[in-house]
Parts: sequence; structure tokens; C-alpha cells
Amino acid sequence: MSEEEGKTTAEPIAKPTFKWKGLSNQWDVKVEPNEHGLRLGDLNVGIYGEVPEYWEDQTRRPRGSVSRPGIPPLSYSLRYKHDVWADCAADLYEEAIQRQWIPATDVPWETLETLPEEIEKAICQVCTEVSQYANSEIEIISHWQDEMSYGFHEVKQYLATVSFDCARHVEALRKRALSNGGGLGIESKGVANRMILQSSGGWTESVAYLYLVRGTYVFHLIKGLHNSAHNDAERFIYKHMLQDHARHLTYGYDHLKYAVTHKDGQAQVMATLLAVGEGIMARELDTSLIRPAMAIIFGEGVEGAKTKGMDCYLELVKDFVADYVEICNWIGVEKTGRLNPALQQYLDL
Amino acid sequence: MPVFPSEEWFTEVRDEYNKDPSLHSGGGGACDTVSGLEISDRFFRIQFEGHQCVDIHESSKSDIEDLDFVISMPEETWREMVEDIQANGKASALLTLNSIDLSSEESIAYSPVDDQYRQDLFYRYNQNFQDLMDASARVETSFE
Repeated sequence: MSEEEGKTTAEPIAKPTFKWKGLSNQWDVKVEPNEHGLRLGDLNVGIYGEVPEYWEDQTRRPRGSVSRPGIPPLSYSLRYKHDVWADCAADLYEEAIQRQWIPATDVPWETLETLPEEIEKAICQVCTEVSQYANSEIEIISHWQDEMSYGFHEVKQYLATVSFDCARHVEALRKRALSNGGGLGIESKGVANRMILQSSGGWTESVAYLYLVRGTYVFHLIKGLHNSAHNDAERFIYKHMLQDHARHLTYGYDHLKYAVTHKDGQAQVMATLLAVGEGIMARELDTSLIRPAMAIIFGEGVEGAKTKGMDCYLELVKDFVADYVEICNWIGVEKTGRLNPALQQYLDL
Repeated sequence: MPVFPSEEWFTEVRDEYNKDPSLHSGGGGACDTVSGLEISDRFFRIQFEGHQCVDIHESSKSDIEDLDFVISMPEETWREMVEDIQANGKASALLTLNSIDLSSEESIAYSPVDDQYRQDLFYRYNQNFQDLMDASARVETSFE
């Protein structure tokens, strides 16, 4: 083929059109940073701050932007504000972004020391199961995030940080298990994980199980681990997990309170869900290997586990149940005297 | 030499804390809260904005409804922490606010109006409070 024949006629470049120019629902917006910087919540001015009770749009249209005709709808099922909302979401997003930590280099791994084998085994078992808790949290959040409308972008963004926090918890716990002469233990039976992952009635139902029921227990579990940490590496991990988890619970409790106060009948629905969840959580407490493992950690060995260790663990569970009842009451679901007997037994110890 | 606990002592600690960003680790984050420190029968209001402690002054326990949370411990526990900070440059692992809270039967923090959301701020922010207390290593302190 000659050089001349090989030449093709170039397509003309389309002239840019500027018809879109000036299409804005609100222009001349100039949010200025304050002493805290420019935070997500600060942007909620004018129409951009109008969080709807119901988000009509089924596209990915950012809240406040101009709607484009002809965009096919997507299957967002969480379109009511009371399905997802917590007033603190934007603030928690900022807090989470600022308070990241790096297990690879922030944890003083050099402080790990060889522990008696039975204690190392117990710690590794707890790391194994708690990392599964964190993994199930990522899974359930990812599932529901997909269903959340963009009218509530603060919540979607905040939950992205929670997934990342949980990934970091999985990482840190796995590193702890694999860095001191032990290894991962036996996988969890997954009783509570299944309860959470199979909660299909909506995000609020999942939040009730994930944070109010299991999350409150996990909070006490991490407190217990921190309290019995053997070195600065463990102390650092648990201290930072506790701070992250406190943020997660703050969203969870705040959302449940919002749902109960803004949706008719939600308190009754929640009471029914919790009655079921309490029974399953009690089964988790009975069957999980975290129970004997924590007793060994608290009792500083198998012998001590049989007495002091188990007493300490049961005290931890009692504190969890007491807290759970108090938080339910705060949310607006009266639990005093209405607790599933399987959990009530821990209060009666 | 300022006496612990007193407004003068806390003001010096606050100044040390505010002027040195290396003390603002606190998990790496800003802290926005108005809270209280209860030291036996003494009461101090404390306000954080971002990475600064903007105010701390002695007050009374009758004026606490607007506070997010109150950290309440007997004076001897506070003093043990401050003495430990003076000796070691920062609180030892078992004498941080976090550790003391975790090993106490009841939480050392409470919400004056039983607001769970505001009480939870203690768990999100207690490292900032610890950094502030650790700044007292730089303040010559008298306990009498």
C-alpha cells in the first residue's frame, strides 16, 4: 500500500457546546473554611443542605445538582431519611478521616514478648473471631450502601470510613495473631454473624443487630482486652479499636433513635426484632470460643480461667447486658423488665 | 509553683499543650467539646476546639447541664495520674484515662443529662484529654 493510500481522512473534532453553562440549581455559593477547616457538614448551605424526608431520585445525582432527563433508574431501596439518617454522620466522617492509624508502623510491634502458650492460643482465638466480626460488618455495610439513595450522601460517605476502619481491625488482629509465635485459631460458629448478615428487613434492622446487640458486646470485649493487654502493642491496637468502634456505635445508636422518633411504629418493630436478636446473641455468648478464651486471658492461664477468669468474663457480659438495656431505653425501646430470659440470666448473676 | 488541682495549674498545662503540636496526637484528630473534670469536690469546665484547649476554669457542679460529659474521679486517682506523668513524661499504660476507665467498675465519665450520644464522646475523645494531661509533665507542680 502506498503512503498516500494509507492515509485516512480524520474525523472532524466536534465543536464544544456550552449549552450546559449556567445550569445550576444554586450558584454563587462560597462556603469558607472556619477554624476547623472546611468540613463536610459546613457545605450544607442553601439547597445543598436540604436533606429530604424522601429522596425521589433513583439515579446517582448528587444532592443539589441539576437532574438530567433520561437517566435510567437504579434500584435504591433506602429512600426515606428515617431509613438511614443520623445527624452526626457528617461529623463522624470528618472524625474518622482525621483519626486513621497505621497498624504496620504505628503499633509498637517490638514490644511483643513470648507469652505462655495457653495465653497466646487464647489471644489468637479471640483475634480470629473478632476479625470475623469486623469482616461481617464490612459485608453488611457494603450490601446496604448499595441500596442507599444519594440524597443522604453524608451517611454513605461515613459508612465508607467504617468499612475502612473494619478492614484495619481485621488487619491489626491478624497481625497480632501471626506475629508472636502463634497463629489463627478456629473459625467462629458465626451465630451472630448470620443474624446480622441475614437481616433483610432494611438497614435499620441490620443496625439494631450489628451495633445495638452485637456491637455493644464487642465494645465491652475490646475494653476487656485492653484491660488485660500484655504489652504496648496490644494496648495500642485495642485502644485504637475502641476509639473507632465508639464512632461506629455513635452512628448506630443515633440512627436507631432517629428511626424510632421519626417513623410510626418503629419502636414496636424494633422491640420485636430485639427480642429475636437477644436470643441469638445469647446463643452466640454460649457457643463462641471467645468465652473460654477470654476466661483464660483474664485468669492468666487455664487454671485461673476456671475461677477468676470466668468470673471476670461473666462480669463483662453482665456489664454489656446492663449497658444494652440502658441504651435501648435511651433509644425509645423500653427493655427494663422485658429482656429475653436468655440475656436476663446474665444480669441476675 | 501552681498547685494541683487549681485553675492556675490547669491554665499552665493548657498553655503547654496548646503551644506544642507534637502533643496533639490524640488519635490524630480534632476535638470539639465542652466537658467537665470532677476532682472529688472540685469542678472544672474545659473546652476544646479543634486541636486547641481554648478554655478551662473552675466552676461548680450546679452548672453542668450543657456539658457533653464529665470525667469524675477521686482526687487521689487524679493525683496518682499526675504524679506518674511528672515522673515519666506521660501517663504509664495503666494510669491513662482510658485504662482507669476500663478498670473501674463504673465508667469514670457520665453525661449530666443521660444523653448516650454525648457520653460516647468520652470514648471518641479521651485521647485528646490524655494528651492535655500529659502536657502537665512540663509544669512544675505542687500537691499541697
